[in-house]
Amino acid sequence: MTQEPVTEEHRTVNADPTPSATDAAADKLRDVVADRETEGPTGNSTIFGLRGLTVYYADFRAVKEVTADIRENEITALIGPSGCGKSTVLRCFNRMNDLIETARVDGSLTYHGVDLYGKNVDPVEVRRRIGMVFQKPNPFPKSIYENVVYGPKIGGMKGNLDDIVEESLRKAVLWDEVKDKLDESGLALSGGQQQRLCIARAIATSPDVLLMDEPCSSLDPIATLRIEELMLELKQDYTIVIVTHNMQQAARVSDRTAFFTVDVSDDGQRTGKLVEFDVTNRLFTSPSKTETEDYITGRFG
Amino acid sequence: MDRPGDPMTDTRSHFHQELDQLEQTLIDVADRAEQMVGMAVEAFCELDLELANRVVELDSGIDDTYLATRERWLQLMARQQPMGGDLRMMAVLLQMAITLERTGDQAVNIAKMAQAAESLPPVEPMVDRIREMGDLVRNMIQAGIDSFVRRDIDEARLLPAMDEPVDRLNRNMYRQVVEAGPDRERLEYATKGLMVSRALERVGDQVVDIAEHVAFLITGEMGEFDESGI
Amino acid sequence: MAETTSTAPTTTDLVRGTLEGRRVNPVNTLVSGLLLIALLSSLLVLAVLLADVFGKGWGLLTERGADFLTTPLSPNAVDAGIFQGVMGSIALTAIVIVVAFPLGVAAAVYLEEYAPTNRLTQFITTNIRNLAGVPSIVYGLLGFSVFVNLFSGATGGRTVITGGLTLALLVLPIMIITTSEALRAVPTALREASMGVGATRWETIRHHVLPVALPAILTGSVLTVARAFGETAPLLLSGAVLSLYFAVPPEAGFVSLMTEQSYTALPMIIYNWARQPQEEFVALTSAAIIVLLAMLLIVNAAAIVARDHFERKST
Repeated sequence: MTQEPVTEEHRTVNADPTPSATDAAADKLRDVVADRETEGPTGNSTIFGLRGLTVYYADFRAVKEVTADIRENEITALIGPSGCGKSTVLRCFNRMNDLIETARVDGSLTYHGVDLYGKNVDPVEVRRRIGMVFQKPNPFPKSIYENVVYGPKIGGMKGNLDDIVEESLRKAVLWDEVKDKLDESGLALSGGQQQRLCIARAIATSPDVLLMDEPCSSLDPIATLRIEELMLELKQDYTIVIVTHNMQQAARVSDRTAFFTVDVSDDGQRTGKLVEFDVTNRLFTSPSKTETEDYITGRFG
Repeated sequence: MDRPGDPMTDTRSHFHQELDQLEQTLIDVADRAEQMVGMAVEAFCELDLELANRVVELDSGIDDTYLATRERWLQLMARQQPMGGDLRMMAVLLQMAITLERTGDQAVNIAKMAQAAESLPPVEPMVDRIREMGDLVRNMIQAGIDSFVRRDIDEARLLPAMDEPVDRLNRNMYRQVVEAGPDRERLEYATKGLMVSRALERVGDQVVDIAEHVAFLITGEMGEFDESGI
Repeated sequence: MAETTSTAPTTTDLVRGTLEGRRVNPVNTLVSGLLLIALLSSLLVLAVLLADVFGKGWGLLTERGADFLTTPLSPNAVDAGIFQGVMGSIALTAIVIVVAFPLGVAAAVYLEEYAPTNRLTQFITTNIRNLAGVPSIVYGLLGFSVFVNLFSGATGGRTVITGGLTLALLVLPIMIITTSEALRAVPTALREASMGVGATRWETIRHHVLPVALPAILTGSVLTVARAFGETAPLLLSGAVLSLYFAVPPEAGFVSLMTEQSYTALPMIIYNWARQPQEEFVALTSAAIIVLLAMLLIVNAAAIVARDHFERKST
């Protein structure tokens, strides 16, 4: 840029009072705000369809009649007080509840239109496509390399394993920190790094969904922000469903938020239920249900 | 929805009390601003210098309160990260603080016109109209604040209609200048009166703005009132 | 000013008064004293025992040296060695490890990782715990009736195999319990991590749960085996010979030592020698006890080394 074009540019701005750059910014802003009014930030298709999903642990009904649509390439946050069933619902998405032998599911839960709890569905295959990151970072007590490569290996994945390791660690924004010590134990990393390693491990099997169960609850604020930033990156390629206790976190990262709460029946039975499921921008500024408003402003009746 | 609750059921009762204090401060400022508008109009109509000086003095109090309010507002935002109704309340409180500060400034503008017109002969028909506008605007401020205090969306929706006669009076005020006649001093007074009229019209618009924010606080929908109040 | 500060107690004085009150808590001192006495008295018993044994046997052991281990049994106190006993004990231990370890681990893996939690599995678990508390003599009777009589075709009757199987039965419940506990100590998070990337239940157990539980399983198992090593009562009933004269001589070779109907073990020899009236056998008995203790120490040391090895591997 020399002096000349700058003055010329200045003149054109004066001559033409409708500079397109500012208009584009304003248009974008209007689009972002418009998701409050319309169906949401994206018109993406449904990946998980929940219809009257009810989960029991033996005779105990943990969560009842959840109906919602989770959309592809969005971040959906599940929030609510303890015992509201948000983790229970999350653990239905990859059939993790199967590990609890008394767990039983009613209603339907579809994944790309396929009933996840259908008779012929193999939960092992489900978990390869729907990865999970847990509350506490839980790397295998093995090397960083082995942690990442484990999923692809047992899944019989084709391709160069070294490449898979590098790509997964890069996507989890951990590569630069660990590339020189891939054979060191995953447990030697810091908490935040361990959690990113767990994300890399989940990504390595090329899933199309990442489930995150309070992924930052044991991390410090900086590590938390890093993970949140990473989630925003990852949603280009993955659908993310996150359970979080931290409302601000849900507000920061998610496109849509589902608010769950606990219903206490006359005989003292506590059952989780979905109260409101809406675009995050709307849910945190003007929720439509009093229960949601009371929860996000800290008033409990 | 925004009264500080019992700490047993309200887990953020301290914050909600802060919100209430901020609200009460602004309601007091609104009362003060309304009085100032009345005093300024009176000062111009009666060419009462002392009253005009009083308005200017009062405004520095409003400015101080405004700065303190903004400071506290910023602290609460940073530390409490309000959401939902609390978040909307914060938005409304900031907007009200700004609006009331400007209302105070407009009262000062009117008072300064009074000071400048001290030695000029009043144009009687204009004085009557300005008095009328002043009363209308004061009623608007009262109604606007009342709708806010009571969270009364119906009352808030009345404001555009209340603003209409103010606008009309302002639009027609130029005639008073034309009809003031060839006398140079009368003409000068009428010109000052025109600026007073303009200032009152601005205050009216600002009150409509407050009413819009009251509606936003209640419904969560942000939008401009049209003449009929949506 | 100066007078008021010197007379009126300041906050600092008041706080010091409360914080620096009684420094000695009598109950606390009494309890810790009693606990120390309990510890010292058990150590004292052990020390007396060791001193007695070493006092009587160490001389003979240093005098005879390795000969004591390689010389066969003899009614003659001067020539008597413990060769058959050492061989028998090693053979018994080997059988116990080969039989009880895989069986016990497998049973525990099934109970912990596969079996549904219902009344039946609860019943089974409770009974395994009960079995662990059954006196060893009862296992001896069981070994006698099952391995000596019922399956004599397979075991050869009163052979070292019978003895080994009986001991294996004896330690199996404890093996299952310790392995179960080791498996239960593996964090659920690890299983979830593995299942979460699409591992099957068996892959999860093989690749993650067992490697992590292995150090604890090994430690528990070795302690269990060490117990079998010192058992006498079940062997009495399941065929080990007491009479020194019948023990197969070392010239017969290892195979016949295993299969002939006359084996013995170190604890048996100690038991037998301790009953002998002759004065010479007192030293022999103590020397044999020292050997038994030394072998137990070696087994335990091996367990510690193995545990450390696997622990380092898994972190």
